[in-house]
Amino acid sequence: MLIDQLTLDGELCEASIEQQPRQPEGLAALRRLAEAIGAESCGVYHLAGAQEALRLVPAVDGAASGISALTRAITTRSADNFARAIAASTVPLWWRHGDSLPLRCATAQCWSAEVQPPLATAPGIAFPTTVERGQAGAVVFAGPAIGIDEVQLCDLHASCFALFAEVWRHRARREKQAPVMSKREIECLRLTANGLTSEDIASSLGLSVHTANQYLTNTTHKLNAVNRIHAVAKALRCGMID
Amino acid sequence: MRPDADSRRNWQATGPITSRNLMAGFLRSVTRAIGASHYVLVEPSLEHGTRSLRIISSNWIFDALEELGVSGLAKIVESGMANGAGMTPRPIHPDHAAFLSADERDALAIYGHTELYCQKLAARGHTVFALFSAGYAGRIDPKALGSAHMRCTYALDQFFHSTRDIEPPSMLSERERECLLWVSEGKTTDEVALILGVSSNTVNSYIAHAIQKVGASNRAMAIATAIRSGVI
Repeated sequence: MLIDQLTLDGELCEASIEQQPRQPEGLAALRRLAEAIGAESCGVYHLAGAQEALRLVPAVDGAASGISALTRAITTRSADNFARAIAASTVPLWWRHGDSLPLRCATAQCWSAEVQPPLATAPGIAFPTTVERGQAGAVVFAGPAIGIDEVQLCDLHASCFALFAEVWRHRARREKQAPVMSKREIECLRLTANGLTSEDIASSLGLSVHTANQYLTNTTHKLNAVNRIHAVAKALRCGMID
Repeated sequence: MRPDADSRRNWQATGPITSRNLMAGFLRSVTRAIGASHYVLVEPSLEHGTRSLRIISSNWIFDALEELGVSGLAKIVESGMANGAGMTPRPIHPDHAAFLSADERDALAIYGHTELYCQKLAARGHTVFALFSAGYAGRIDPKALGSAHMRCTYALDQFFHSTRDIEPPSMLSERERECLLWVSEGKTTDEVALILGVSSNTVNSYIAHAIQKVGASNRAMAIATAIRSGVI
């Protein structure tokens, strides 16, 4: 089930659940990964909010129906420590349940880090992921039978990156298409972001200052920005320039 | 669960990577394990508005690095052929690479870098590029490279944890950061002043400080630098 919105307390908001007639993108791949490591529950989440208000928001829940206990546990307001740990970490984060760890060799433990359990009923592991230009999240697995060695840890994390990128691509596609910009317009934006003035851009590209300004004005309008600094910021944030 | 992993792929940890020497040793073993012969680890840096590359570690012979040059390395890194985490690694063949000059292609060929993989590694907020190369095509195993990518990421995480600040020193004050954020949303100085409840002069002052601190020459560049490094 694809979940677009949960209210702050993790309660389901009836009107905002999208019941897709076909499987949401990434669900099959997520379930395959979970099966390969013997996980009972799984999910793909993205990070939202900032600083004190950082939260994990579900993007794909691996449960057959409804919201899994895992999703409930890690997206509530009181799971903010877990969200912050994920935001700050490059390496996988795991938690134990009693004596049970999700890892089965010392080398895997050497690469990863242990955290306070966000879920009290089973051990689990979270793989922090990011896509180009900032959007961050994690793919999380939990269950008593998980036992990952070092090679699986590396391979699985790589697969999680691929899965997260896939989920994010589909999300982006559902939103409004980006406006079509000409190569010159993008080039002028990029040079502006690197600190060049209109005069510099004009001489660098062999144009008149008037033409360079025209390109920049065009980009400002196409991106629905109020000025060219705003246009640069928007272009950077949606990955149009880097 | 999983069939016994190929013993060649099992990785023995010798302890956390806390120094450049240990990082070099680690990279040498990864290079061997994936079938490559050479590696170079570079980091893009932005100082006073000019982008350049810093070489963190390498087993290339000096002449090869000198002939290719930092500019040649930069071209490879910026070629769009860099592979991120989870991506199927695509190789670069210098003799077909249109983005390199003839001299640069020669330099790579002469020193035995016939096939290259450029891996983009992100750890602890830093982005670095690891170039693995071999003397002939097909020598490097793309599947082994895929898991080596994450292994390298974890090693870098340990390396940066030991050798750099855990929290990058926040150069900008909260107010300076806020001003940049609002300007990046298209607000004028007067509007930002209204939002923050201070005078326009104060806002201009915050912005001027921010521009100076990030080493930018104007507002647009300061905003771009801040967004690129995730500050806003």
